[in-house]
Amino acid sequence: MVGVPLATLKPKRVRKNIELTLWEKLYVFEVLRGLFITTKHFVSNMIGFVIPPKGEKRSIFTVYYPEEKVTLPPAYRGRPVLVAREDGTAKCVACGLCEKICPACAIAIVGGETANEERYPVKYTLDMSRCVYCGYCEEVCPKEAIVMSSEYEGLAQRDRRNMLYPKEKLLRSEENVKGRIEYIRRIYSKCSY
Amino acid sequence: MLADLIESIAKIVFIFSVNLGFFAPVLGWVERKQSAVMQDRIGANRADIFGYTAIGLFHSIADAIKVLCKEDFIPTGANRFFHTVAPFVSLVPAIATFSVIPFGGSYTLFGHNVHLVIADLDVGILFIFALASLSTYGVVLAGWSSRSNWSLLGGLRASGQMLSYEVAMGLTIIGVIMVYGSLKLTDIGAMQADFFRWGIFMQPLGFILFLACAIAENKRAPFDVPEAESELVAGYFTEYSGLKFVMFWMGEFLEIVTIGGIVTTLFFGAWHLPFVTDQMLLSFFQFAGPNGAVILAMLVNIATFFAKVVFFIWLQMAIRWTLPRFRYDQIMRLCWKMILPLALINILITGLVVLLWIK
Repeated sequence: MVGVPLATLKPKRVRKNIELTLWEKLYVFEVLRGLFITTKHFVSNMIGFVIPPKGEKRSIFTVYYPEEKVTLPPAYRGRPVLVAREDGTAKCVACGLCEKICPACAIAIVGGETANEERYPVKYTLDMSRCVYCGYCEEVCPKEAIVMSSEYEGLAQRDRRNMLYPKEKLLRSEENVKGRIEYIRRIYSKCSY
Repeated sequence: MLADLIESIAKIVFIFSVNLGFFAPVLGWVERKQSAVMQDRIGANRADIFGYTAIGLFHSIADAIKVLCKEDFIPTGANRFFHTVAPFVSLVPAIATFSVIPFGGSYTLFGHNVHLVIADLDVGILFIFALASLSTYGVVLAGWSSRSNWSLLGGLRASGQMLSYEVAMGLTIIGVIMVYGSLKLTDIGAMQADFFRWGIFMQPLGFILFLACAIAENKRAPFDVPEAESELVAGYFTEYSGLKFVMFWMGEFLEIVTIGGIVTTLFFGAWHLPFVTDQMLLSFFQFAGPNGAVILAMLVNIATFFAKVVFFIWLQMAIRWTLPRFRYDQIMRLCWKMILPLALINILITGLVVLLWIK
């Protein structure tokens, strides 16, 4: 859950005066005040190393990757993935809109026709070395067939040919990306175009 | 004669090993860890040997190994001689200044008078300022000889800043010298045996001004425009890599230790514990015999001195990671229009007080 609850926010009075008061012009006392604040952090963190603080409140904000991982919000734009139907084929109808709108020209589609006279992508190649993770393809897709998952690991390869992800590598089940699909339904329904 | 030689060699070896062997690598660790703990994060602690991470201390060894394996290059068109010599000119004064700082009092050990200071010069404080002026050359040479825009700007800023603050630093100390009546650092230390004759009570304004000038002289934040990490790439040591870079860096850290040592000696009672005199110490350690008592008293005094130095190192690191950097014209204005007049007023008032009250 991101964001601060509105009830806890209190309006803070900001001094608009640009001129420094005499107390502030004697820089020494303000320096001491600043040192007091940082020393307070120092001491409380040093004590926190020996006696960890109780409760949920973390004093040290470092996430100890790779042992700990950050919990990502649903708005996070990770690697684009193709959504699969229950029978394993892609929802994509090879309309070519994502290919057209991609600002980095990372998507290449070769369309074809199934036996049921439906369109499907024969070849769907997403060049990971070109993708900028902007999310335009997800926004423009009329079938919710491509979404930005929250995957960020394993994206580096030693060979550029391995960065051309074919359709099989991009498919994920609908269960996997359910959170993202609900999120994009919520935010994109607010757009008036 | 032989006893003198042994004593000198022992002191030199002790100070060298403490300074270069202990303080220089540990200060690199302290900078990382203290800044991390002050900023609510963990800091570097992943370097390990056989799975044992010593809370990040091995990063210093890793740094040393990395630095020794780097290519040492001189930019094309640069002045080769000065480019090579500059780190040495910057490092050697930082190490040599520590030779006049007393880290203990004088004792009689085995019938021999031992002063715990490498060189008991009659002009103690002036020697420190003289050497500090030499380190300005290192910075200016580094900036000029690198044939690079960033280095030149860093070197110019450094030269102006360091020269101005040397003048101010000299004047802030005159108050202390007037109160204690001597330039010898061992005399000033010995006269602070009584807690209420510590320099901080006699010269509070002098302490603040001297600390500001010394931090500015050392080019540490908030006065680190010559280095200016976010503005000038790395300022005057942009074109340095490997061991030469580490020499600059180590010179800066060793000067932190030196400043801690000078401030302790002049203002915070050198090696004395508050409210504990030498006689009390010697009688406390009576059980070890006369020589043993002296050795134990020496150890207590050395430990007190280094504890105070460590506190000032911590304070300088805390100041670095708390305050934002000054603008260059603010630095110059601070020196010439604020610190210098205040130092002169300090001299005036101290002179009046010494003349009217203490005499």
